[in-house]
Amino acid sequence: MSADIHLGRVKPTVSVGGWGSALTAGIRIVGLLIAILIIVQALIVVEARPQDLISGIHGMADIIRRSVPPDFSKLHDALWPALETVDIAIFGTLAGVIMAVPLAVLAAANVTPSRVMYYLARGIIGFTRAVPDLVWALFFVTAVGLGPFPGGLALAVHSIGMLGRLFAETIEHMDMAPIDALSLTGARRIQVFTHGILPTVLTSLLGISLYRLDENIRSSLVLGFVGAGGIGFQLLTAMNLFQYREVSLLLIVIFVIVVAVERLSALARQRLA
Amino acid sequence: MLSVRNLTLQYPNGKRALADFNLEVKPGELVVVLGGNGSGKTTLLRCITRTLAPTGGEVWLNGTELSHLTGDKLRIARMALALVSQHASLVRRRSVLSNVAAGSLGRHYNMWTAIGGLPSDELQAAYGYLDEVGLRDLARQRAGTLSGGQAQRVAIARALAQKPKAILADEPVASLDPEAAEDIMRLLRRLAEEENLAVLCVLHQVELAYSYAHRVVGIRDGRIEFDLPRADVSREAVKRLYISEAA
Repeated sequence: MSADIHLGRVKPTVSVGGWGSALTAGIRIVGLLIAILIIVQALIVVEARPQDLISGIHGMADIIRRSVPPDFSKLHDALWPALETVDIAIFGTLAGVIMAVPLAVLAAANVTPSRVMYYLARGIIGFTRAVPDLVWALFFVTAVGLGPFPGGLALAVHSIGMLGRLFAETIEHMDMAPIDALSLTGARRIQVFTHGILPTVLTSLLGISLYRLDENIRSSLVLGFVGAGGIGFQLLTAMNLFQYREVSLLLIVIFVIVVAVERLSALARQRLA
Repeated sequence: MLSVRNLTLQYPNGKRALADFNLEVKPGELVVVLGGNGSGKTTLLRCITRTLAPTGGEVWLNGTELSHLTGDKLRIARMALALVSQHASLVRRRSVLSNVAAGSLGRHYNMWTAIGGLPSDELQAAYGYLDEVGLRDLARQRAGTLSGGQAQRVAIARALAQKPKAILADEPVASLDPEAAEDIMRLLRRLAEEENLAVLCVLHQVELAYSYAHRVVGIRDGRIEFDLPRADVSREAVKRLYISEAA
């Protein structure tokens, strides 16, 4: 017995042309208009005046002319503040890491001992991150006086927020099977952390910390502008005294520091990977 | 002796994952649990270790009832109950020796172990446990570099470092090749017999159950279908466990 197979008329599941495509085109045009609107309002708010940039080109050329050649006789005076800048970053990063690790454990949803601790830790991390390092520097300059120490403290506190969030995310994304296995052997919470969690995420944490050191070097240059030590303070003084040849020398020193630390940090992260 | 009495797990929607489950595993005995997907095998192990709280029944291990323990009492009770899971669950960046010795942490709570150190006598003992599983030569190697079979052997050595009364193995050979799977089952049987351990092992591989189990328990829909010495388990009875799942 044969059976007739009736395929019927197949309706297209995706409409091509008509209202569907008109709607898509409409959405795209509205999206484009919104994007243009955002850009235009930004130009208005920042009072962007390209003509001023063009007319000011002579002033800039004058500053550049007065900046060359760099005054290398001041190199000796720049070395100590340069070291201070690097050390502020090292201190800030190290202190930040020490405080960020326990906070990150409390702020990681998969290992936190309680919801109260979780929200408290998240709050501290959020707050220290939200306040810029420059504001922390002003605060600590008022509290402990001028010099590199308030700079280091500022970077440490700001780093808690930046590192704490990244550390917590790293812990949240790690493989929990070894941690659960260790818990089931009867190990206590602190032992599970030091023998399970820490060795599992240590490489990632070191990589993040090195990246943070790299960022902190750049930040510590600016902290000197508010009296928190380092080469930034010397740069501000030279600019205020119109010592542009010294300024150019300090910018070269800063460039060397930033590039050197960036390369060392990248190399170290590569070795850890 | 590991003893499960009227163990029941009922979900809020009324579905019973385990229903009045009774089972005994004597020291020196390897009991294999067979059953289809969703039959309740892993749930049984999770209720025994209390990573899932049963809604009824009791779990006894050497005279201690586990199902109502909490906090530190539960932690101490768990030390006598070692779990070997499908994936070895080792800390990949630590050495094989450290992973094994970490099984003893429950017995050593002091400043040294709290900051990540391991007791030197337990590190020495760990060599012995690695001897038991035939991996002493790999003691200093990173756990992340091991093959699946080797990693599973290290997980068993870690379980031994716990000095348990019972070992629960949740599909310990599921991700291994046939030869490695045979090795692991042979090892579990030897440990049951020589170390006088109660070993309860969940498996999907029927042939391995026929080869190595002292007793086989068939489970379907959270209920025991049969609990027999290996020699008395018919192929038909085992087949029914899986036919039920397909239907």
